[in-house]
Amino acid sequence: MQTFFIGFFGLAAIVFAVAVFRTSSMMRSALALLFSQTALGALFLALQAEFLGVLQIMMMATEMSIMAIFMVMFMMDPGGLGGMDMSHQKRLSMIAGLGAVMLVSAIAAYTRWQELASLSQAAAADEQIRHLGRELLGRSMLVFETAGITILTAMIATTAVAVKVPAENASHES
Amino acid sequence: MSVLIIVLGLLAGAYAVALLEDRLTRGSFAPAAPLLAAAALLARESIVTRKPDRLLFETAPVLLLIAALLAAAVLPLSPTLIVADLATGGLFINAALAYVLVALLMAGWGPDGAYAMVGGWRFLGQVIAYSMLIVMPITAVAIRAESLLTTAIVGSQEGWWNMFYQPLGFLLFFIASLAVCFLPPFDRPSAEGELAAGVEAEYTGARLAILRLGRMVLVVSLAAATSVFFLGGWLGPWLPPWVWSALKVLAVAALMLLAGYYLPRVREEHLLAWCWKLGIPLALLNIFIVGVMVLAGL
Repeated sequence: MQTFFIGFFGLAAIVFAVAVFRTSSMMRSALALLFSQTALGALFLALQAEFLGVLQIMMMATEMSIMAIFMVMFMMDPGGLGGMDMSHQKRLSMIAGLGAVMLVSAIAAYTRWQELASLSQAAAADEQIRHLGRELLGRSMLVFETAGITILTAMIATTAVAVKVPAENASHES
Repeated sequence: MSVLIIVLGLLAGAYAVALLEDRLTRGSFAPAAPLLAAAALLARESIVTRKPDRLLFETAPVLLLIAALLAAAVLPLSPTLIVADLATGGLFINAALAYVLVALLMAGWGPDGAYAMVGGWRFLGQVIAYSMLIVMPITAVAIRAESLLTTAIVGSQEGWWNMFYQPLGFLLFFIASLAVCFLPPFDRPSAEGELAAGVEAEYTGARLAILRLGRMVLVVSLAAATSVFFLGGWLGPWLPPWVWSALKVLAVAALMLLAGYYLPRVREEHLLAWCWKLGIPLALLNIFIVGVMVLAGL
C-alpha cells in the first residue's frame, strides 16, 4: 500500500512538472508547479514524514500563488494566447537535467537499502515533531536564526529598493 | 462512520449558515429557501464563458469544497468523533486553508472575465494580509497544549478556555477567519455590489451551487476551528460533548455573520496595513505572553 502511494505521488509530481513546460499559459504553468510540489508533499506523507509533508503542502500553495501574480503582472502574454515557450537555455537545462538523473540513479543504486531498512524504523508522528522542535531550538538554532534574519534583511532591502521615492526627493531629481 | 457524521454535520451547518445569511441580508426567514435556491441553481443552465481556461474553471469550485472539507477533517466534535486525529493537526488546518486561495485564484482566472480575475487577485492581497493572523494564534494555542493534536488542544482548555486565557489571540483569529471565508467586511473578492460578484460573476447553475456550498462549508469549518482552538471544543457541563460542539460552532458562525453585518467593508490595502503594522506585532505579543504564562505554570 505504501509503495503504491509513493509511486503514485512520485508519478503525479513528475507529470505536473512536465506540464509546467508543456503549457504556454503563465497561470497554468504556475499552478502545475504548485500541484507538482503538493504531490511531493503527499509523497513525504506516504513516507511517514508527516510534519515535513504537511509543511510542504501548506507553504507551496501561498508561494506559488504569489509567484503566479508576479508572472501575470510582468509577462507580456500571461494567458499564453500567443503560444509562448516556457523553456529557455535548452542545452544547459538538458545537461543539468541529465546530470541530476544520473546522480539520483547512482545514489539509488549504491545505497544499501537493506541495511537502512533494518536500522531505522520511522518514529511516531508526534515523536518526530518533538525531535524536530528540540533540533530547531537546540543544536540548529543558530543556523536557522541566521537564515531567518538573512531572509528578513533581503525582504526589507527589496522593499526599500522597490518603493517609490518620497515626493521631495523626486522633485529634486527631476 | 465518523466521516459520514462529520460530513452530514457540515452540511447541516452550511444549511444553518445559509438561513442566517438570508435572515441578515434579505430580512426574510424561510426554512426552505436555501434548499429551493440550491435546487434552482442545479436545474438552471450552467453557462461556460467564451474562451475559458476550462481546466481551472471546472476545478476551482470543487477544490474550494475539498479544501473546506479537509480543514474540518482534523477538528474533533467529541473526544472520538474526528476524521483524522493527526499529530500535525494544528498545522494541517493551515495547509487545507491555503488551498482556498488556490481555488479562488483558479475561479478568478478560469472564466476569462475581467471582474472575476480582479476578484481572484483581490483575495490574494487579502491572504497576504491575514495569513499570519491564522498561523500565529494557532501557534500560541499549541504552545499551551504542548501539542499540535487538536484533541490535546481541546484537552488543554479544561480549566480556562483559550478565549479567556489568550483573548488577544482569539480576537485576531476571529478577524482573520472572517477574511478566510471572504465574509463581510472582507468580501470584496466576491461581494455582489463589488465587481458584479467578482469570482462568482461568471459562474452559473450547478458550478455556482458548488462554489456557494464550498463557501458555506468553509464558514462552518472556520467556526469549528474557532470553537476547537478557543472555546474549548466539546467541553461543557450536563449536555453530551457533540451537542456542546454543535452549539459552539453555530454560535461562532452566527457571530461571524453578525460581525460582517455591522462593519463597513475593508479594502485589501487597508487590511494589509492594519494586519502587518498592528495585527502581527499583537500576535507576536500574544505568543510571548502565552509563553510566559506557560512557563509560570498558569
